[in-house]
Amino acid sequence: MNSYPAELLVQLAPVMFVAGLDLPSAPSTSPPSTPQSPGQTQSSPPAPTKIQDHFASLIVRLRDALQSQHKVAIWAPERTRAFQMILVGKDVRFPPRKLVPPEDLAYASAHSPLSPLTPSSPLYPDGLIAPIWIRKHTQLLPSVFVLFLRLFEAPAIHARSPLDPPDPEHERDKTEEERRRDNDLSAEIAARKKTTNERGIKLTVVLLATRRMLDDPSLDSRLTFIRRQSGLDSRAALFVLSPVSTSELNDFARSLQDALYEPALEYYTSHSKRVRRKRNRHSQSVSSYNPPALVSMGVANTRPLRPEGWTVRYEYKMACFAEFRGEDEVALKHYQDAYATLMIMFGSTAILPPRTKRWAEAKVLADAINVKITKLYLYNSEHSLALSHHNSHMRRFADFSRGWGIGEETFEYWSWMARQHRVLAELLEQGSNSSLTFPTNSSPSLTAGVTSAGTPVELDAVRAFGLNPSHALQHPGHYYYMAARCTEARRERFLVNEEAISQGTSAAPGYANEKKVDHLSLILELYTKSYEVFKKHSSTTSQGRLTLWIAYRIAHTYYESEKFDVAVRFFERIAKTYRREKWKHMLRPLLSTWYACAQKLSDVELMATLLVEMIGYAQDVNESRTLQDDLLAVLKSSVPVSPGKPLIVDLKESDPLLDTMLVFWVPEVQVGEEAGFQLSLSTPTNIDLSTLPIDSVTITLSDGYCPVVLRHSPPTDGQVADRAVRLVKIGEVVPEDEDEELEEICADLRWRPGERLVVSGSISSEAPGLLTVVGITVVLAQNGWTVEMPHEPCASHEISTLVPRWLTSLQPIRFLQLGRDDCSSVVVRHRPHELAVSLSHQAPALLDEEYPIAIDITNVDERHLDVVVDVLLQPTEVDQAAQYIVFNDQRSSGLIKGIRLGTIAPGVSATKTLYLVGSGAPGDRMLDISIQSTSVQPESTSEGDEDAEPHSSSSLSEHATIDSCEKLQTIVIPTSGALAVTYDVAYRRSKDPMPALADLSTVEDDFWDDSYGGIAVVTTRIKCLAPCGLVVESLKLHRQNNPLAKVLDCSSDDNSDDMFPDEYLPGDEFCNVSRISLSPREEQVLGEEKITGPGNYKVVWRRMLPDGGRGRESTTRFTLPTLMIPQDELIALLDAPSFARLHVPTTIYLTVRNRHSSRSANITVALDLDPSDAFVVAGLRNGRLPILLPGSEEKLSWNLIPIECGHVKIPRIKVMNVRRATLPSQGVGVPNTEDDMEGEAVKVVDVRADRNTARVQSADDGTVAIPQQDGSSTILVLP
Amino acid sequence: MSPPLRPNAVAFISPQNHPILIRTFEKGDELKYHYVAHTSLDVIEERTNGPTKSNDCYLGLLYAMDDIAAYGYITPLKMKIVLALPLTDSVVRDAEVIMTFRALHLAYYHASSNPFIRLHDTPTGVGSAKWKRFRQKVDEISRAASGGSVPS
Repeated sequence: MNSYPAELLVQLAPVMFVAGLDLPSAPSTSPPSTPQSPGQTQSSPPAPTKIQDHFASLIVRLRDALQSQHKVAIWAPERTRAFQMILVGKDVRFPPRKLVPPEDLAYASAHSPLSPLTPSSPLYPDGLIAPIWIRKHTQLLPSVFVLFLRLFEAPAIHARSPLDPPDPEHERDKTEEERRRDNDLSAEIAARKKTTNERGIKLTVVLLATRRMLDDPSLDSRLTFIRRQSGLDSRAALFVLSPVSTSELNDFARSLQDALYEPALEYYTSHSKRVRRKRNRHSQSVSSYNPPALVSMGVANTRPLRPEGWTVRYEYKMACFAEFRGEDEVALKHYQDAYATLMIMFGSTAILPPRTKRWAEAKVLADAINVKITKLYLYNSEHSLALSHHNSHMRRFADFSRGWGIGEETFEYWSWMARQHRVLAELLEQGSNSSLTFPTNSSPSLTAGVTSAGTPVELDAVRAFGLNPSHALQHPGHYYYMAARCTEARRERFLVNEEAISQGTSAAPGYANEKKVDHLSLILELYTKSYEVFKKHSSTTSQGRLTLWIAYRIAHTYYESEKFDVAVRFFERIAKTYRREKWKHMLRPLLSTWYACAQKLSDVELMATLLVEMIGYAQDVNESRTLQDDLLAVLKSSVPVSPGKPLIVDLKESDPLLDTMLVFWVPEVQVGEEAGFQLSLSTPTNIDLSTLPIDSVTITLSDGYCPVVLRHSPPTDGQVADRAVRLVKIGEVVPEDEDEELEEICADLRWRPGERLVVSGSISSEAPGLLTVVGITVVLAQNGWTVEMPHEPCASHEISTLVPRWLTSLQPIRFLQLGRDDCSSVVVRHRPHELAVSLSHQAPALLDEEYPIAIDITNVDERHLDVVVDVLLQPTEVDQAAQYIVFNDQRSSGLIKGIRLGTIAPGVSATKTLYLVGSGAPGDRMLDISIQSTSVQPESTSEGDEDAEPHSSSSLSEHATIDSCEKLQTIVIPTSGALAVTYDVAYRRSKDPMPALADLSTVEDDFWDDSYGGIAVVTTRIKCLAPCGLVVESLKLHRQNNPLAKVLDCSSDDNSDDMFPDEYLPGDEFCNVSRISLSPREEQVLGEEKITGPGNYKVVWRRMLPDGGRGRESTTRFTLPTLMIPQDELIALLDAPSFARLHVPTTIYLTVRNRHSSRSANITVALDLDPSDAFVVAGLRNGRLPILLPGSEEKLSWNLIPIECGHVKIPRIKVMNVRRATLPSQGVGVPNTEDDMEGEAVKVVDVRADRNTARVQSADDGTVAIPQQDGSSTILVLP
Repeated sequence: MSPPLRPNAVAFISPQNHPILIRTFEKGDELKYHYVAHTSLDVIEERTNGPTKSNDCYLGLLYAMDDIAAYGYITPLKMKIVLALPLTDSVVRDAEVIMTFRALHLAYYHASSNPFIRLHDTPTGVGSAKWKRFRQKVDEISRAASGGSVPS
């Protein structure tokens, strides 16, 4: 930017002249403060100086406040009605409008002194516009003139008492004095007003007065007087300011500018109008195009400015005036017009002959207008328009330049290009310091939200469609970079030119100037700026690759400018990233330049280091050979800087010299077992290391092992020297031993392209852990130099890792690919423990049995093993199954943990028995048994368990891993029932009559009434199911009488002792009968509830073992079945004796019971006598019983005299419940008396055979009712 | 109608920022495109990790420098493709660039599906000189892009 006149670039702002604020250098310069009469001076000696001090400081502060209002800048997009304030003297003169005085007759035809028409003008005769014109309008001519003046104030009289009346004489004097002074002031203003009016400049007067004066009633009249006298405008022309604080002064400055902004705009508008008039007049007068060819070249010097030139001039002026007014769009339009016309002028060498003064001026003007246009676009955030204009400007001038003979091959061209890029960069940098932001230029979907905010809609549409990359605004770093690149090109062209001159060709134009330019520092400056901007704009996440690239350019420039030490520092930093990210192609040129630097610095160590690295990066065999020769030359020609200390070249980050690959045959071995490995060192096919003086290769293994040293020994003649793959066997790597000397193995350590040296060996460890090769160091030795190059065990020139291969045969060479991913290490583990575990048990398990499972563990290992057993009983899926395990006195339904079997010495076995108890339902039970073993030192077994604990833990800490093993075993145990039970229940009605209604005994506590419920006879059959057979030891009925049922007696009560113990084989059954008296309550009868069995059978049994022994005692319980309450309504019970004697009367009874809860019964009883009957009956033949109320009964008796012997039938007794069961349909006709009489038959039950039987399979199974057998009752008649 | 793209170079960069393949379609200036590809990584990282993070594969114009406009594309597996277009004064249609990127991505995808490439070798091994097919495909796409249409 500095290459252009500042006037042409700065943002223009309206100009305000401020006069009357001269710093009072001497008191006399300020006339109002001078005392007027001696008497007043005496009366108030300190006052004037005090006032003067006030005003002097006011003036100083005013100057500061006004000057700080506006800063001249190139980038100023805000439109804040700010003026450019210029402090001038009171008597400042404006430049003359024309050279001739107005009185002269020639005044009308004369032109401004800057016009190309004025012969004395610098533009005469054909200049376009000069910076001096802008300067005239920014420095010499204001739009507003502000004049600061001191209002006269008569000094105050302090001596007088305030009570005194005002002295009329004094007052009059004072008024007169004031009037006189105001007159003078007005005259001064009027004189100034005259000069400003000539120019159309607004004049504003600011009167400085004390605060006291502001309150003076006479002030208004005085101000009016002054204004009238001086001919000031009525509006915004007269201000009064008293000494106030700085902030108030700023407010004053602000309001002053606001008030005067309108007149300023008017001023510039009138200028614009004037120029437009002139332009219109001009374009009308010269409408026809004058071909420039008419003017001969000889008179070109005196040729007047062409119409295009005038257009440029007028448009430029109008643009400037619009800019003064702050009308950016108008200014842009005029600048564009000016630029377009200027382009037309450049288009013809006749109009603007190249390499003339005017041509150069026009070029500068065009560049400056371009900057203005670009800037105005940028103000408006129209980035792509701005860039598009800037780019097209560069392209057009590039085209023009070719026509002018300063094309791309000249340094002038590149110098100009660089300047354009730099101007843009500087403009953007200035902009970014204030308001300019840079778009991200990412894909449309990303920026949609951002762009729609500020930019016009059309731009959005273009964006959606695509983007012209050259119109994408980037941060200034890019343009600085471009400028630097162009400057590099410029330097290149210059050097070519210089060379040409040395060969006798004539110098290019401008060569002398170009020779003075320090290109390199210029390039450096630009790159550095670019670097800084890039750094500023890069996010924190970025790795700074862009900056590295620029840094690389900077380093190059330093190299070019022969500052090698600085360049080296840069290279060092850049190489780090390039190495890490494996961008070899970029690293190669960097290394070679770096090496060149090192050569210049004659840093031998650095040279050697770089050469080694460069060999690693060599692209082909020849390059690697050359580099090796260089390295050898370096080593031979110099002595080490620090002898005895090896030079270490760390190749871990960069490409290694040798591709290394470490392969272990197996991924893991056991303690003490040898793990075979192969380490192959090879050169890629494009690198030849045959002349590199490799002295030895040291292979360092994991801690505690001797490093293996391979020493170079040239192959003897007998050996096959040049084999592509060589094998070196190093045997087993031994653990480190201080006494032992390092063993060295001889090998051929010269590699031709693609050759491979395979080091084969084995390693074993006594402790578990990870074994690998830690590092490989290749050592060069030459001429006292020792260069050590550490290598990683798996490193290659390829970016991806090598495929692990195992050399299986040398002749022919054959490799085996190992199918593992990571072969570079081997894991050493403990040997698994040898424990024989046997689980013995007699399946199936029986329900309710403590089923023994013997766990027998035998140590067949050589180590002493500490064994701990965990048992987990898996939850069963069988319904209603319950289960638990008992182990070592612990009982659990799930897991039993940590049962110690103690330390088992080799060959010893230990047994533990686990008991499983399953109950409820049969089914499979599952057990997980985990046997954990830990090897312990034998001596710990001799000590007590408590003592062994700390010892073993300390021994464990010695080893990194605990030598422990776990064995898991799962067993499934089928469980079946041992016994099965079946119940048969028979219900008998009670013979006892129901207690009378008012029987008091019924309310007693221990009253038991089974007259309703009767007695249930339960027959229990228990069957042995166990396949092994059982020994039943006892059977007991445990009575659990409840209020509804009680056990009367049981068959096992008396005779169980001789029955048990007894052996039962599968299928054997035994039986037990018990009687239960039932006493249901009335509500239970109605609710048809069931009665729980009042007790359970307890069967104690043992399993019969195959060896004849008995198992553990087990107990199975069976609950008595649920009993039902018999349901009767009306029933007749026939009680007949079992036998009778012939001819001896015997009595039978019939009890008719009404069990219905509410209904009474009308019963008729008829005894059917048959002639064939074997009885003679005495008693009721046919009769009606009294009405049977609910719950009552009636008992009848007959005397029978048997007349026959044997089983004779009892005469049939017919009991009828007479109910008028006639249906309405029947009732309509003749009533059937027969039916009427008959009614419902009531069941007659012989109490001797009263069995209402039900069978119950088990306690809760459904009851199966067995129908009662029907048959007439008989009596055995004995003779 | 904007002119065809005529890519100058294509760079495939692995998720670890190692170069996979840098294919130049201009003679004599291969190194420059290495630098372009490498510096593009900065902008790609900024775009993918920055506050305005997006899940779009296409990253748009990364930067324009010298006479090159670099465009970026990142696959879901963080493999990056950088396309270097010559900086002409014409609109580059995003749709065309995206189409080219997709084709390049597909070419890479097909190449990496080669069953003879070892798994741990995949990102960088694909670009090695051993596998010619990938290079041919990339060249083909570049030719097609220059011709104005991209094969699917």
